[in-house]
Amino acid sequence: MNKMNEEDRKRILEISPVGTFALMAVVIGSMVIAWLFLYFGVFIPRGMIN
Amino acid sequence: MNDAAERKLALSHLWVAFIAFIVACFMGEYQVLERSGLIPALDSPTVYFASVSTHGVLMGFVLTTFFIMGFGYYTASTSLKVPVWNNKLAWVGFWISLLGTLLAAIPLLTGNASVLYTFYLPMQAHVAFYLGATLLIVGSWIWCGIMWVMFKQWKQVHPKQPVPLAMFATTANALLWLWASAGVALEVLFQAIPLALGWIDTVDPGLARTLFAWTLHPIVYFWLIPAYIAFYVFVPKQAGGYLYSDEAARGAFIVLAVFALPIGFHHLYMDPEQAKGWKLLHGIGTLVVSIPTLVTGFTVIASLEIAGRLRGGKGLFGWIGSLPWSNPMVLAVILSLLMLILGGFGGVINASYAMNAMIHNTAWVPGHFHLIFAGTTVIMYFAIAYYLWPMLVQKPLFSNSLALIQLWTWFIGMGILTTPWHVLGLLGQPRRISSVVYNTLLTLAWKPYELAMIFGGLILLGSACLFIYNLAKTQLNPVSGVFTQRVEYAEAIHPVKELPEYLNDFTLWNRVIAVLMLISFGVPILQFFFMNTFGSPGWGY
Repeated sequence: MNKMNEEDRKRILEISPVGTFALMAVVIGSMVIAWLFLYFGVFIPRGMIN
Repeated sequence: MNDAAERKLALSHLWVAFIAFIVACFMGEYQVLERSGLIPALDSPTVYFASVSTHGVLMGFVLTTFFIMGFGYYTASTSLKVPVWNNKLAWVGFWISLLGTLLAAIPLLTGNASVLYTFYLPMQAHVAFYLGATLLIVGSWIWCGIMWVMFKQWKQVHPKQPVPLAMFATTANALLWLWASAGVALEVLFQAIPLALGWIDTVDPGLARTLFAWTLHPIVYFWLIPAYIAFYVFVPKQAGGYLYSDEAARGAFIVLAVFALPIGFHHLYMDPEQAKGWKLLHGIGTLVVSIPTLVTGFTVIASLEIAGRLRGGKGLFGWIGSLPWSNPMVLAVILSLLMLILGGFGGVINASYAMNAMIHNTAWVPGHFHLIFAGTTVIMYFAIAYYLWPMLVQKPLFSNSLALIQLWTWFIGMGILTTPWHVLGLLGQPRRISSVVYNTLLTLAWKPYELAMIFGGLILLGSACLFIYNLAKTQLNPVSGVFTQRVEYAEAIHPVKELPEYLNDFTLWNRVIAVLMLISFGVPILQFFFMNTFGSPGWGY
């Protein structure tokens, strides 16, 4: 672990977690795309239950 | 504080949990082998269903209940810094639960309770199975009572102070379990036991499934909450940082406890005994309960980001590489979250009213719950054990490297096991089958996936053995000397000094749960007493 002065430390504790927002956006976006793929790409083409 | 009594209590519970776990792992590998038809000598539906039932009960009821009780006692004692209230009563609970486990094991292992861990009536087991399951639950209710008393006593002594987060969450889980287990308790007491004893000739399967649905979904959160507790109170500290938000954590546990309960009908989407409107209501509730999971994901990842940046990580994602990946708790949470994302996606498909028809009763479903339970949840049970074990036995962990290998192999094995399982579901393989005795193009297409599952299961079995080996070697290690390490709970970036009562108590939320349960289960249960339904005699035993 590298040494960090108190000012940097305070700054890190106060900043918005942008990496987390980006990761969450990627995860939720991927889930939406995967859901749409399963719905329109797998579920709907199977047609009605006979 | 001399916590020798608490350590012994926790350790006893955890050993019962992990012995059940390792036995169930061997059964799991046997089951994928038998189902594949690769070794004809193994082909036996009778043995298979006895094994599946025992595997499910050991994993779903014994591992979880004993782990949660042992972890809960130690968490209560260390977070509140008081001894466990009424230690003798806690031991009574332990022995009642253990007696129940042993009683249920006899019919399970002799093939007299091959009713799967969901034991849907009118499938019938030997009465010893139901009595054993009841005793296991009664023992856990004692744990719930002790957690509740400790929570209230601490609040009396520390008025207006925030209850430590770990204890707040543990109490939320106790409250959730008291409500959740009531459904299955009603089913067992008023339907399963009277049927098994011959006091009644028939039961209403619709009512039984409705009562089990009351328990079936919240029980998943009962299992999952200890993992979330570790996410919030251990991970940030172990990663070298702080908890991003204490209030968000409390809010997540409250919403989990409240909304995990009135949503069980998404397990009954295809059942005829409940109307569409009720199913839709429960379906909406199911999507609501994904909110605390998203909040948890955000708060935990934000806590990890802070830790990574404090350790020198730069850029949008550079902090990920700066995290202490060699710490079992940190590695476990990363792997757990990855499995939660994949398993969570599967859960959204399950909850989607229309698409549920596509995967209903297929191999997708066990694939999903293995990823969420055996993956996301149990990997955190491992991490908690690796963290607490040295403190419980007062000796350093035998091997940190072995722990890391074990976590990685569990993750890889779970991926290899559950990915083909999901695909098999989409290919139309039904769940709850022991083997396929006919060959068509459809069933032949299943073979490669079944072989992959055997390989995944083998990796998991090896990983499980490594886990038990590491714990046993830690405890049996003849190292002598003073061991001073104590449980360290994460601090929030902005520690809470005061909290509104609704974020520090459950009285209000208990009433909200009562109202929601009345709305979502009142009419659906009462209807059975006003409709002319036809009972079914028991079968299968």
